[in-house]
Amino acid sequence: MRTGGSPYRGRGGQWAFVGHRVSGFLVFLFLLLHIVDVSLVRWPAVYDEVHRLYGNVLLRAFAVGLLFALLFHALNGLRIVAVDLLPRAVAVERALLRAVIAVTLVAGTAGGVVIMAPFFAGAR
Amino acid sequence: MTGRGPEARSWLFMRLSGLVLVVLALLHFALTHIVNDVVETDFEFVAGRWASPFWRTFDWLLLALALLHGLNGVRTIVGDYVASRRARAMLMAGIGGLSGALFLLGTLTIVGF
Repeated sequence: MRTGGSPYRGRGGQWAFVGHRVSGFLVFLFLLLHIVDVSLVRWPAVYDEVHRLYGNVLLRAFAVGLLFALLFHALNGLRIVAVDLLPRAVAVERALLRAVIAVTLVAGTAGGVVIMAPFFAGAR
Repeated sequence: MTGRGPEARSWLFMRLSGLVLVVLALLHFALTHIVNDVVETDFEFVAGRWASPFWRTFDWLLLALALLHGLNGVRTIVGDYVASRRARAMLMAGIGGLSGALFLLGTLTIVGF
């Protein structure tokens, strides 16, 4: 992470910054696609046909990835707002980042189990 | 929050829209992937939901805020990594045009349903 004369050293806060950009950008790309796929609802038969694909294991795994990106971006965004607005949050900024990561992992894994369960139960 | 220029407004917009989007986006994801399995969210599911003005408004607000929030985020990223002013302007015109077109498509999808 240390390049040239950069003062950045890749500590927690900087990785959070990178993660926020990457997760935000990925969610934005998904949003653009999602607007197109939902627009098919004008043609119910086509919509249902395309929609059946979402039960596929690959697209389920994709949804789990989306959940992790959404959770991290949402929780880290709340951390940013807290640090911006509450002077007391600045002092515990590192603990807040650990909480963001912990909740992302726990909620993402729990949600991931629910999303993948139908596949393991044999329903595709 | 002391500044009044366009970047201060952008800063404030990202935080306010972000706070609303935490609720809208996570609830939307939970309803379509956790509470209901994704396979259940077929045409009938959408028709049932969009029979209610509440969910149409919810979805349209999510569409509008997520696009604006995302577009403004992309603008920040492009501003950081694309050095040439001309390339930045062209890139943002392209991404902005695409987002605008998709906003229209999404609005027509929800309103015209």
